[in-house]
Amino acid sequence: MRAPAIRGLGLLSGTGSGSGPAPIWTLARPDRPGDRFRRATRECLLALAAVDAMLEDGKAPREAIAGDGTALLYVTAAAYGASNREFIERRGGVMHFAYTAPAVVPAEVAIEFGVTGAYGILIGGAPSTLRAVDQAARLLDEGRCDRALVLVVEIFEECGDLYARHRRFTRWPLVETAACLWLERGDGELRFESTRDGRRAPVPPGGGERFAAGPLADLREWRDRGTGGPIELSGRWRDEHAGLHWSTERSHARDTRGVIRRSER
Amino acid sequence: MGTPERVAIAAAGVVTPIGADLEAFWSALITGVSGISQIERVRVDDLRVQRGGEVKKLGRIKDWCGVPDCRATRLLIAAADDLCAQAAFRPLPLDPARVAVVVGTALGGVEEGEKALGGDRPSRRFPDALYDGPGLRLARWLGARGPVITVSTACASGATALATAADLLRRDEADAVVAGGYDALCRFVLRGFNALRSLTRDEVRPFDRRRSGLLLGEAGALALLVRERDLRGPRLGTVLGYGSASDGFHIAAPEPSGRGLERAVRAALADARVSPRDVDFVSAHGTATLLNDRIETAALKRALGPRAHEVPVNSIKGALGHTMGAAAALEAFMCLLSAQRGLIPPTLHLEEPDPECDLDYVPGRPRAARPRIMLSTSMGFGGCNGALVLEAA
Repeated sequence: MRAPAIRGLGLLSGTGSGSGPAPIWTLARPDRPGDRFRRATRECLLALAAVDAMLEDGKAPREAIAGDGTALLYVTAAAYGASNREFIERRGGVMHFAYTAPAVVPAEVAIEFGVTGAYGILIGGAPSTLRAVDQAARLLDEGRCDRALVLVVEIFEECGDLYARHRRFTRWPLVETAACLWLERGDGELRFESTRDGRRAPVPPGGGERFAAGPLADLREWRDRGTGGPIELSGRWRDEHAGLHWSTERSHARDTRGVIRRSER
Repeated sequence: MGTPERVAIAAAGVVTPIGADLEAFWSALITGVSGISQIERVRVDDLRVQRGGEVKKLGRIKDWCGVPDCRATRLLIAAADDLCAQAAFRPLPLDPARVAVVVGTALGGVEEGEKALGGDRPSRRFPDALYDGPGLRLARWLGARGPVITVSTACASGATALATAADLLRRDEADAVVAGGYDALCRFVLRGFNALRSLTRDEVRPFDRRRSGLLLGEAGALALLVRERDLRGPRLGTVLGYGSASDGFHIAAPEPSGRGLERAVRAALADARVSPRDVDFVSAHGTATLLNDRIETAALKRALGPRAHEVPVNSIKGALGHTMGAAAALEAFMCLLSAQRGLIPPTLHLEEPDPECDLDYVPGRPRAARPRIMLSTSMGFGGCNGALVLEAA
């Protein structure tokens, strides 16, 4: 599979001290003017903020991603939990129901930025994000879009007590993350692999658990490190382990900042 | 570009409000049976509308040993049990690591979360409340060890799942994929649609001028997909193409011109390498809401051109209610059964056509026809539009 080139990557990462038995590093609810956002949930607003950050990173105006040439792939393992709980506990009011659908998070992005191309929504952790990058590469390679956005939002605070009661379900601290990756056609090589081996996720060396957002945080870290060369991303969720080998040589991306430039040096 | 790998739907299995297996489902569609009834499994006395397409009998399984008491999971496994009977397998006759599961859902295991938060369920069931919980349970029941993918493109989820399954096979990530959709009627979704006031107290009347909204239903619908070159034995049909597009308009309302659905249909036809002239039958999303049916009619006219007026178009939601994540998969199976049996099921409760919905919506009785190329359309919350192109066996 031909690898895509990275045009921009926005990443918002929660902050905290990591103290306590079940720590959650949180992201504040972004403030966004406009009546339309009065009812919008925190996860929706974080998605919009991640796209803003991506545009800033790519030094591009919002019009650059508008239209049916842009595909949008959304991945989450947990972001719907907050809105679902709010509705179940009747805190959101009757009009809140629409916001319980995972599809609403990318919908807010589509509405706000005029993105009307192909879309997909995968539910799961890090392996699903790696699969989404692979799907985006295929959409680009097959000419089904001109650019593809991989959007990931993971928030935990609203369901923090549930995660705390199921400490063994996840790793700690939980780090809220919203990220959006902008991909265009490139010339390197991309290889996705996935296995289900029945083993639980290993305890991480540090940095916290971000569920589906982990690979994009790793990608951002790799880019910021500036060491170049092929990228190896991996992730685990439940009993699935997935890896993505991403060689970005000979990329023709218009913007050669970050990953691409370093890999060409 | 080379010829894409052809992917067959070898067999299908269902559990629905009108029949607990594929044959019963088909017979009920053809004979005009309605699956709408008073909802009994969950409390509805405080809701404006208390009817829906509830599954009264969960297939043939007597012993649910090892399967949690989770409605969504059991709908999936009941459909899988029917699929196994249709396809005559289980245990799987393949390397389990090469068998994948792809399911589409609008609600996942949310009822488990609802119960846990309400104190009705032990909280250790928390992982089942996640949207990907039922899909993982299904994989375990099947003994499948390949990729397990959950997609949630609202009411287009079943179509997205079938298309994702075809992709897995084309990319050689699996040799067989069990794919489809499911959703359960639960307090969560009934209360939500009750609040939106989109449920009708009348019959569900797709494309009828008196239509006044939808009713919800529940179902499980699964197919076995394999590469055609690997298939030994009969098949129901072929997945030729898929297209999707966002409305980018509103989180809950469809875009009034139907441009999103039109783009999805065009993309699906292009993916299938067929022209609008090749389409012989359309299974419409047809929810019977005032907006949906008008918008869908307009989108089909633009996407198919003059052919839109020449082909039969039906909606089976009058019989089933809107089965959410299962809807598109059930509609795809209905298309393939229509081609196989030479009959197109009628649009139940369509009696007084809406002048703005002026296509051939197969009112009243089944239509004798043997379509070869079929289009199935879906629209969902968040402006998700999906279209599948299928070919008869």
